[in-house]
Amino acid sequence: MNEKKINPRKISAVKDFTCVLPVLIFLAVFTYYPIVELLRISFTDWNLLNDTWQYVGFKNWNWLFAGSGNKYLWNSLKVTVLYSIGELSITLIGGMIFALIFNRMTNSFAAMRAVIFMPKYVAMSSAAVVFLWILNTDSGIFNYLLSLIGVSPVDWLGDRNMALISVLMLTGWRCIGYGMMVYLSAMMGIATDYYEAAALDGANAVQRFFKITLPMLSPTTLFLFVTTFLSSMKVFQSVDILTQGGPYRSTEVFVYNIYRYAMVDFRMDRASTVGIFFFVLLLIVTVATMKVSNGNVTYDS
Amino acid sequence: MSAETTISADVRNESAKRKKKIMAAIQWVLAIIVLIVIVFPIYWMLVSSVKSQEEILLATPTLWPKEFHFENYVNVLNRGNFAKYYWNTTVMTAGILIAQVVTGIFAGYGFSKGKFKGQGLCFIIVLGALMIPLQVTFIPIYIMMANWGMSDTFLGLILPEAVSPYYIFMLRQTFMSIDDSYIEAARMDGLGRVGIITRILAPMCKSTLFTVTLVTFTNGWNAYFWPKIIAKGESRRVLTVGLAYLKNTFAGGESMNNHEIMAGAVLAVVPVIILFFIFQKYMLTGYSKAAMK
Repeated sequence: MNEKKINPRKISAVKDFTCVLPVLIFLAVFTYYPIVELLRISFTDWNLLNDTWQYVGFKNWNWLFAGSGNKYLWNSLKVTVLYSIGELSITLIGGMIFALIFNRMTNSFAAMRAVIFMPKYVAMSSAAVVFLWILNTDSGIFNYLLSLIGVSPVDWLGDRNMALISVLMLTGWRCIGYGMMVYLSAMMGIATDYYEAAALDGANAVQRFFKITLPMLSPTTLFLFVTTFLSSMKVFQSVDILTQGGPYRSTEVFVYNIYRYAMVDFRMDRASTVGIFFFVLLLIVTVATMKVSNGNVTYDS
Repeated sequence: MSAETTISADVRNESAKRKKKIMAAIQWVLAIIVLIVIVFPIYWMLVSSVKSQEEILLATPTLWPKEFHFENYVNVLNRGNFAKYYWNTTVMTAGILIAQVVTGIFAGYGFSKGKFKGQGLCFIIVLGALMIPLQVTFIPIYIMMANWGMSDTFLGLILPEAVSPYYIFMLRQTFMSIDDSYIEAARMDGLGRVGIITRILAPMCKSTLFTVTLVTFTNGWNAYFWPKIIAKGESRRVLTVGLAYLKNTFAGGESMNNHEIMAGAVLAVVPVIILFFIFQKYMLTGYSKAAMK
């Protein structure tokens, strides 16, 4: 008879909680605990080549902000920001231009849109080796096409001024269709009344774009901006395959910098220190973009 | 007077029509130029993959292969254990897919239709995890998994990706849109939680479920960062990583062997591209669905 005293609602709550429990345990072990561990390692001298380690206080932090690590920290920060600006411009501006070009509701345009979007699904590693081949200095087709208009061969991946541009070409190829699709689906949501009213007032196409389309799309632009910015800060794969961070660290983005310390130099201590710095940076950017997104946006009421 | 206005209206109509036609023509021209540029890398990958070695090294590249050398595909499968990489990627993707779908559906149910104390806080824990990517936490996870003896194992490849906060979030949002009365009715009929999920929620949210699962599949198949770290050895190397290593196996002769590398690249993308064309409707919205939420 004791069983009846247990509240059935309580049993139900326990069962509901059981549904989410595995996820919570998983996140504790594989997401939250590693952050604490990362912080702890940053105060040690852990090096995978040695068997023992000890706490060394702020030695790694000193190395990062005042020692030899500082130069590379700012370099990777600079490269990452440049890369982010590039990816953002391509996704937002390029995506918008593509959306205007492909904004026709016929079957042939729908088919073309699907093809433009396809690169997003091509594995980055396949795309990267294809671009390595296209951009090859001696027998790549890109340099050949340029030679037809009289441009001498460019060392796309070996020239420190060109390497980041080459990485961005690959990124742009994969992302521009995504920007287009997001903008197009938002454009379809804009009520035609606005355009009819504007046409009656005698607004031309350019005015209509800047006075109606662009402001109405600002929530979409913001969404694209935030998600693209955050993902661009985590770029790794394209850099790893195309340039390995080179030449002369000119494409060494943040994640690559951490990866190099950890998996090439085996300096877990230094890698963790940079990792924590990167984590804080991501947090700041996330919070800042969320703050911005609460103001400054036009919504269709 | 009135006749004059109709004429001018006609003229205006006429000129508006002509303007529209010109606009359409411009759109067509631009669209085709853009299309050529975007399709070219894929075309070049396919064409290069069937050329002979002499042909890819010609000073003047040929737009269409002189002869078709399909043996490039056989060669690349034999070189560097490509067939094994294929198997590894398949098992890894299947593992990630099953794990994320099962954990995601149950958690999605718990966070949308379940009721328990601290539900809000628990959900914040899930959302917070979205801000902590593997690119930050990979060092402790790598050390942990190496200590557990999981480097170069399938479990090592799958486990850190077994739960996706994004997947849970998407499912929760979708399940929320289903009216509670369906759940109540199902409960009256004696359905348990598993029954409600598999017989009511999953069928009613079929298209979203399918879309996010396709994205999960693609992300798993194309994964690179974590597999490269945990499966450094040959035994559990996946396709994406194997492809990147493939160019190193030619020891300096990388550009000499681009025909075989391209064949490898084609083999790696074929499954996803086939899925893309079959399930276009879902995959076109896949990555942008989050935008609407």
